[in-house]
Amino acid sequence: MDAPLRAAMDFPILSVIVLLPAVGGLMVLALPRRRGELVLPVALALSLITLGAACWLLASFETGVAGFQFEEQVIWYEPWGVSYHLGVDGISLLMVLLTAFLFPIALLASTSITTRVRGYFASMLFLEAGILGVFVALDLLVFFAFWEVMLVPMYFIIGIWGGERRIYAALKFFLFTALGSALMLAGILALALTAGDQLGRPTFDFVELLGVDLGRAAQFWLFGAFALSFGIKVPVFPLHTWLPDAHVEAPTAGSVILAGVLLKMGAYGLIRFNLTLFPEATVDLVPLLAVLAVIGIIYGAVVATVQKDIKRLVAYSSVSHLGFVVLGIFALTSQGLQGGVIQMVNHGLTTGALFLLVGMIYERRHTRQIADYGGLATVMPLFAGAFLFVSLASIGLPPLNGFVGEFLVLLGSYLSLPGYAVAASLGVVLAAVYLLWAYQRMFTGPITVEANRGLADLGFREVALLAPIVALVLFLGIFPKPALDRVEPAVQGILDRIEMTTDYQVPQFGIEADLPEAEARP
Amino acid sequence: MNGSLTFLSVAPEIALAAAVVLLLLVEVTFKPRAWAWAVVAGAGLAAGTALSAWQWVAHRGADTGTFWNGMIAVDGFAALAGLLVFPLAGLGLMSAWRLAASQGRRGAEFIALVLLAAAGAHLMAAAADFIMLFIGLEVFSLSLYVLAGFTRERVDADEASLKYFLLGAFASAVFLYGVALVFAATGSTTFYGDGGIADYLAGTVIFRPGVLLAGLALLLVGLAFKVSAAPFHVWAPDVYQGAPGGVTGFLAAAAKVAGFAALARVLTAVLGARADDWVPAVAVLAAASVVVGTLLAIVQDDVKRLLAYSSVAHAGFILTALVAGRGGVGDMWFYLATYAVQVLGAFTVAAAVSGDRAGRSPLAHWAGLGRRAPWLAAAMTLMLLAMAGIPLTAGFAGKVAVFRAAIDAGYLWLVIVAVLATVAGLFFYLRVIVAMYLASPEEGASLPASPAVGWGARFVLAVAAAATLVFGIAPWPLLEVLRDALPL
Repeated sequence: MDAPLRAAMDFPILSVIVLLPAVGGLMVLALPRRRGELVLPVALALSLITLGAACWLLASFETGVAGFQFEEQVIWYEPWGVSYHLGVDGISLLMVLLTAFLFPIALLASTSITTRVRGYFASMLFLEAGILGVFVALDLLVFFAFWEVMLVPMYFIIGIWGGERRIYAALKFFLFTALGSALMLAGILALALTAGDQLGRPTFDFVELLGVDLGRAAQFWLFGAFALSFGIKVPVFPLHTWLPDAHVEAPTAGSVILAGVLLKMGAYGLIRFNLTLFPEATVDLVPLLAVLAVIGIIYGAVVATVQKDIKRLVAYSSVSHLGFVVLGIFALTSQGLQGGVIQMVNHGLTTGALFLLVGMIYERRHTRQIADYGGLATVMPLFAGAFLFVSLASIGLPPLNGFVGEFLVLLGSYLSLPGYAVAASLGVVLAAVYLLWAYQRMFTGPITVEANRGLADLGFREVALLAPIVALVLFLGIFPKPALDRVEPAVQGILDRIEMTTDYQVPQFGIEADLPEAEARP
Repeated sequence: MNGSLTFLSVAPEIALAAAVVLLLLVEVTFKPRAWAWAVVAGAGLAAGTALSAWQWVAHRGADTGTFWNGMIAVDGFAALAGLLVFPLAGLGLMSAWRLAASQGRRGAEFIALVLLAAAGAHLMAAAADFIMLFIGLEVFSLSLYVLAGFTRERVDADEASLKYFLLGAFASAVFLYGVALVFAATGSTTFYGDGGIADYLAGTVIFRPGVLLAGLALLLVGLAFKVSAAPFHVWAPDVYQGAPGGVTGFLAAAAKVAGFAALARVLTAVLGARADDWVPAVAVLAAASVVVGTLLAIVQDDVKRLLAYSSVAHAGFILTALVAGRGGVGDMWFYLATYAVQVLGAFTVAAAVSGDRAGRSPLAHWAGLGRRAPWLAAAMTLMLLAMAGIPLTAGFAGKVAVFRAAIDAGYLWLVIVAVLATVAGLFFYLRVIVAMYLASPEEGASLPASPAVGWGARFVLAVAAAATLVFGIAPWPLLEVLRDALPL
């Protein structure tokens, strides 16, 4: 390795990515009160620099290599075994990119915020820093710190700048999430000390913990503690009740981030920690998680269908879509896991875009009731087109990105859990029902409400917000290979570990599940 | 152990006592302005801190010992208690300065009482004999009783003071009875040395430990009262709510520090050999405190009362560290030190919001504080988040420290109870934050005049915020240091 490249590898790019938004938040707070017009440009600039750094990360990421890259490790406190350990693999790389990509858009979509502007943009930037930290932390205590601290800015974003029932929604969001994470903290401490018994010193380091042999019973308890926390975040049915309230009451950008990135933290946690640290418990609990995932898919879709409020509809569609992600993860096949990860990105893009669109129409009419609209396509053709495009992507129409993810998830889960896959495919049909029906009621036919007649179509800023998402939706739909190539080794590594530590065999196409019998045949 | 150290062993107490005498004499002789009080008090506290720092440097770990026939211990534990208590008293005085200055000539007495309380608190940590411990306890407690009712202008302040005094005296009596029983069982009131209690318990098999155990239980009850651990907490809400706003912070912080210092030494060092007897009791006390404190805090509508119940829960969290015995003492110190600063900061804000002399601080006073006084609201938010244990605040590091110690000692159930209480606790901390930022003041509600913050209070809040953030982001140096703060 030549010197400049080595220097590039030693550069603490991950720390920089996490710190940049935090610095931006401080800068926004430090702006004088009179210069309110500078707040958005400064915040946007910092989030764009973060995106640039994330792109640099993508460019220098070595594809096809399992394990973590860009690792940074500084011992913090020897007696506890805490170290500031960061690193990314293909999965977290995609999550970092998604986060860095959605935040500038969310910030630019926040022009309707007029009260306490500095506080708002600072909160958003601190939130970004916290989320990025969650995705790159490889030390469980550091991970937990980021996981928990990011609740505070989100709480304020919902609670101060949210809708009518914002206080209730913010409190519910905070308490639900904190309940899960409190038990996770106990789990993390117990895990570190169990490791201490074996290694002779406690450690919170994820990579070191992989080498610790936990007992079967301990794995179940710890799996439960972690899965409860992540399950609330995802949200897995029946832990989802905070989600509709939080989504509906949050300001537009809050909903975009909530749906686009925050929910992914839960799924990411399941993949990163539950699957690898507690493989035996994972394999044994697959039926439970798969049932909950399928219930979530169907239930979310059915409830979305009957919503009268378009924002609530999109919120419930998240429950359904995240069900696919969880099903893909616990299919424990290469295709299912890859599909789950890709679907996380897809859902972030499409649902983020849907919330943006809902926010745009809400800013014009100040109502979210589907019944208050009708025939919008005639006055707002651009808006209608964008809504239809994103809806179709969300439904999973080829060649848009949603198809790739859902197809892989169904394929992967059909291999290991055929019955569940069949049931889950109902969710795809239902997605078409609720989204297209909503489209029909809102956009087609004659204009039913006079107030809608004078609505302006999308302006330049709004098109600029949507264009990057639309481009990515198309790109990932037509050519998902770059993303899949980066995810595949990480997924394979996780599955290899499960195969190694349990007697589970990852099923594959063309190979009968029951090998010995197949060989016995002539 | 050289003879020249004899007086130096109690030098911090001497410095404080000298400052008290000087203050009162100067006051009656010259009737000086208020700044002269500040000079004398500051000099006394600075001398106490410096002498404790010297003890810390010279006599932590190695070269420790007892003096005055085994009455006073010089060790890392006592030195650290001084390094904590004296600056805390200084901060408490700054926080209460407007209150003290508004008392006219009685202000000097107020300051003298704070200094006496600090001296008593340090004596409790440094005592190596139950008699000495009791003297420290009484000096400390009596000062606080008077401080709680100092303004004498409201009935509820008098009530608070009287209630504190009666219940406190009762607890002292219980404690003393415990001392008597332990003396009956072991033949000594001295902690260390030949024939000391620790020595006796380590070397003797007691076949009928009834008397000893009864004494141990009474000691535990007496000290649990001082730190307001459930079910011996009933005085705390009334006292905190009744006491004048300016001094409540010092009351709350100092009581915790002094009580836990005494508790930690008595349990881990003196009765260390009987750990199997007291650890389960402490675990039950801890669980009861976190649950009772949290649940009762949820239903409060007065911020000072809410903080009082939260302090009961925090007593439980701190007790959680003690189930690990000697290994948990460093973690206890960390939690105690950071919590003391937080609670002082929180009550300082309460005093600014509802008034230095006011007892009550109803939640309605806090509505819209985020707009009226953004800095105060921000400081309060930070203190509340720290008490709630949100990462990047010292409260989180403290919680991790005590939970880790308890899990290490095999008390996972206690930690699970504690983390669940932590979540429930978020509910009431968030209620205050909701009032400050998310709610707007009710139409026509009579708010106290725009919050007035003196320079002393500003300094206290700046220090509290800085300490909370610094030890939240990088708690390791302090944790490392506190590992040496062990009793003899």
